[in-house]
Amino acid sequence: MVSEPTATAGAVQRLWHAVMAGDEHRAAATVHDAMAQGLSEETLLLQVIAPVQEKVGVEWAADRISVAQEHAATAINERVVASLAHRPAAGRPAPDRGRVTVACVDGEWHALPARLVAQVLTLRGWRVDYLGAQTPTSHLIAHLHLTNPDAVLLSGSIPTHLPTAHAAISACQAIGVPVLAGGRAFGPRGRYATALGADRWAADARAAVAVLEAGVPRPSPSAIRHTVDDLPHLADQEYTLVVRSRTQFVKQTLADLDDRFPAMRAYSSAQRERTAEDIAHIVDFLATALYVDDPDLFTAFLTWTAGILTARGVPARSLAAGLDALADQLRDFPRALKMIEHGRAALTEHTTRPVPGPDIHA
Amino acid sequence: MTHLPPSEFTLAFRHEPATLTVMIGGELDYDTSDDLLDEVSRRLTAGRPSPADVRLDFRELASIDSSGLTALLMIHRRTSALGATLHLDNRPAHLERLLHLTAVLDHLTAPPTRPEARRAEEDDGLAGAGLI
Amino acid sequence: MLVSDRHGHLVRLNDAARLVLPDAVSGGRLSEQVPAWLADAHQRTIAAPAQGTSAELPHGAIGERYFEARITLSGGDVVWWLVDATDRRVAERALGDARRRSEVLSEASSTLLSTLNVPRCMEVAAALAAEHLAEAAVLIAPPQGRRCSLTYACQGDPVVQTSRQVDVTGVPGLREALQGFPPVPARWINPDDIPDWAIPDGFAGSVGSVIVAPLPGHGVPAGALILLRSSTEQAFTEGEEVFARLFAARAGAALSAARLYTEQATITATLMQDLLPPTLRTVHGVEYAGSYRTSKDHERVGGDFYDVHPGADPSEETLVVLGDVAGKGLDAAVLTGKIRNTLHALLPLAEDHQHILNLLNSALLTSHHTRFATLALASVQRRGGRTQLRLTSAGHLPPLIVRTDGTVEEAGTRGTLVGALPAVTARTVGTVLAPGETCLLYTDGVTEARGGPLGDELFGEDRLKRALAECVGMPGEAVVERVQMLAAQWLRDGRHDDMAVMAITAPKAGPLNTADGHASGGTTRRSGW
Repeated sequence: MVSEPTATAGAVQRLWHAVMAGDEHRAAATVHDAMAQGLSEETLLLQVIAPVQEKVGVEWAADRISVAQEHAATAINERVVASLAHRPAAGRPAPDRGRVTVACVDGEWHALPARLVAQVLTLRGWRVDYLGAQTPTSHLIAHLHLTNPDAVLLSGSIPTHLPTAHAAISACQAIGVPVLAGGRAFGPRGRYATALGADRWAADARAAVAVLEAGVPRPSPSAIRHTVDDLPHLADQEYTLVVRSRTQFVKQTLADLDDRFPAMRAYSSAQRERTAEDIAHIVDFLATALYVDDPDLFTAFLTWTAGILTARGVPARSLAAGLDALADQLRDFPRALKMIEHGRAALTEHTTRPVPGPDIHA
Repeated sequence: MTHLPPSEFTLAFRHEPATLTVMIGGELDYDTSDDLLDEVSRRLTAGRPSPADVRLDFRELASIDSSGLTALLMIHRRTSALGATLHLDNRPAHLERLLHLTAVLDHLTAPPTRPEARRAEEDDGLAGAGLI
Repeated sequence: MLVSDRHGHLVRLNDAARLVLPDAVSGGRLSEQVPAWLADAHQRTIAAPAQGTSAELPHGAIGERYFEARITLSGGDVVWWLVDATDRRVAERALGDARRRSEVLSEASSTLLSTLNVPRCMEVAAALAAEHLAEAAVLIAPPQGRRCSLTYACQGDPVVQTSRQVDVTGVPGLREALQGFPPVPARWINPDDIPDWAIPDGFAGSVGSVIVAPLPGHGVPAGALILLRSSTEQAFTEGEEVFARLFAARAGAALSAARLYTEQATITATLMQDLLPPTLRTVHGVEYAGSYRTSKDHERVGGDFYDVHPGADPSEETLVVLGDVAGKGLDAAVLTGKIRNTLHALLPLAEDHQHILNLLNSALLTSHHTRFATLALASVQRRGGRTQLRLTSAGHLPPLIVRTDGTVEEAGTRGTLVGALPAVTARTVGTVLAPGETCLLYTDGVTEARGGPLGDELFGEDRLKRALAECVGMPGEAVVERVQMLAAQWLRDGRHDDMAVMAITAPKAGPLNTADGHASGGTTRRSGW
């Protein structure tokens, strides 16, 4: 009999190789065999599948695996989790803890973290309604009216969905259902979960279980809030104007880059589109940073992107040039300018080592 | 602004003794196709004798979707019933593509073969209006 | 007016004061002659004369009336002027009650209206009633079959909900309330008649007074509310009874709205069941994956659809259909239902796509409208390691085939749309998928998604093909998800049409039964969300 840490490490390695080979059968067999040998389902979910998925993101960022491999690996992991979930329910507790809804923010495609939480909660005796990736807020609310759960677990991986998450949080609370936010989108130690008025934040699946077990009181529906009640800085309209002028900013920045880098004029249309998408991402993250009023959100994105570009042999100076072009257009936006300044400084200090962060291309 | 304002849907008509010409501009889609069908149907039956040719001019057409094509198919039914020939003039590439994909161009522009079909179609018109 | 000296003796009373304090005598100790509140005020004034004027006027009851005392210092004496404030006090109390009640009603309304969930609504109503109207409240929903849903709330305790068989005639006025008759006045109800089931477990002591209030609904009663107060407390007043009815009216309206919503939502869900896209799985060694996104986020059904009709056994072809009905929303969805049913009935003829399309066309043709459908049909069969496909487009975008070398082929099939023309024609083409290759069927909502970084471009077929070229060797589900994700990101928040995507994938080499084995347990993820 091997020790649990050894068994876990072995399973991680075997699962990693199976998903990299795109071999769903081997992946499923690895996990089911490990369970037969005594690893608990929760251990498999949180200490085998979750770390493998984490590694998928890191390897993609470092350009060591392709987009296709990354997607195939994710799909296989999802199916392995589902195959565990649909196993005959021997030895599983009766759902007697209460009822919760697990959903991803609208627009959020990264479903696996939410799926893992949903599965762990089921194992711990909760009745779970799992609504999956990118749940439109209107569907979520309709579901809550019908099921009246004790709480909603709202998952987000990419920070640009924070404004949408904010709307969803307020909408759930307005009908008296408390919200537990989780996922990387909500920032270091969940700082954006707090800013957006979520009732609770949990760092991971086990923390989420602990929060629910401690009980989350229902918010008072009479305390319905407006966006600016939580985020008074939005009154300066910088966020609104940046979002509404997104297309213009992208076009103008492209034109400015053409002037600065004559080589860009020879780009193919696909290359130009890629550049335009990168600029659009910068504008989106800038807008989100304005929304939560946190320059760190913007700089984290920039340094991460610089790492991605460097890993692919693309000089990161185009990022700095893009920021300069944006700054020219944002002269009347003091908060945005401050963020861009922070960003520029961070890029200068940035080392070329890729850091795990929001995987915008995934 | 993220979105340009959608190009305004416009209809203009020219009545000549034997020809009705309809200039269609903007987006012919779910929201506007009923307007086209209603306006053309009204003009087809308003004057006697009814036109021998109906020309839809798409020079200013910005886009068309499946609802727009539904309207064209219905207009064709009405013109055939009256014994008129339908012409689709100045077709932009996207319309050409849609007509090719759905393989209906020949059908829409074929000269009417059964002018006597007129009566049956008029009955259907009544049925459609819920009168029988 | 009464006058007292510094030593606390009553010096003098005028006639008016004598009427109020008939037993008071001059020369007696003030503390023995007047109520304690006035004697205390006197002591305070003597001790710290400067502060006496700034604070609130001393006030209190004398007999049945209520007085305020104003002070004047006259030489060494203290003069107290008693002002009768009884009427003002009553008016202020009434105003305070009215204000408190309107606050309660306003809180009740906003809390009750925030939820459309029936049990939650009953829980909130009972809890509010126990908190603001009585010591305990029991909410009874109209009986469903033999059972009644009961919600018990006791001040300070959590609300308890249960469903059981009870004798509603046991509570005076309850049956009437549940039938919508006018309420029975509280004074007619003998508290001793209340059966045990109508008293929450946490209720201490014996019942002193009871209100049974009907919850008026939308035409039919929404239930009834029993309010309980113990015998040690003051009995319900008539004013409280009126207020309880006001509260019950709000609770009844909210409860009816919640019930109506639930009924509608349930009916819709039932009717839509057949219109929702099916969950796809691996059939006879070939993977199928699909995903659907409606044009409006609040709708779940629309004009796009797909189905997989498995062959009776692996030696028979599986028929795959993906289609798009002109129009949007529920109207379009209803037509998709008709098409799907018709195609299901035509399955025995599936070896001839042209024939199926002709029959479907005749079935759909009507003189009332020219609403049409476009379809892509695929008949799939796996033989050895080869997955054979017959593909037919009926006015639909041709299927795309992702080869292992990264090329993306467009199937050379073309045909007439279905349902608007007297006759249809179509050309069927055959192809073979090697292990790992995918055939993608999709609707034009994907390629006509407008947006992108520059805001106003179509996603287009070229972009779709480029994206597919990156999908070589991916499982079908991952391909479908990638396409939907790219289209959604292209759109961001833009307006779009329904989008359906389906993948037919020849699995990579490996034991044939792998995915089948798990799929039977439902391994395949639900399509869409």
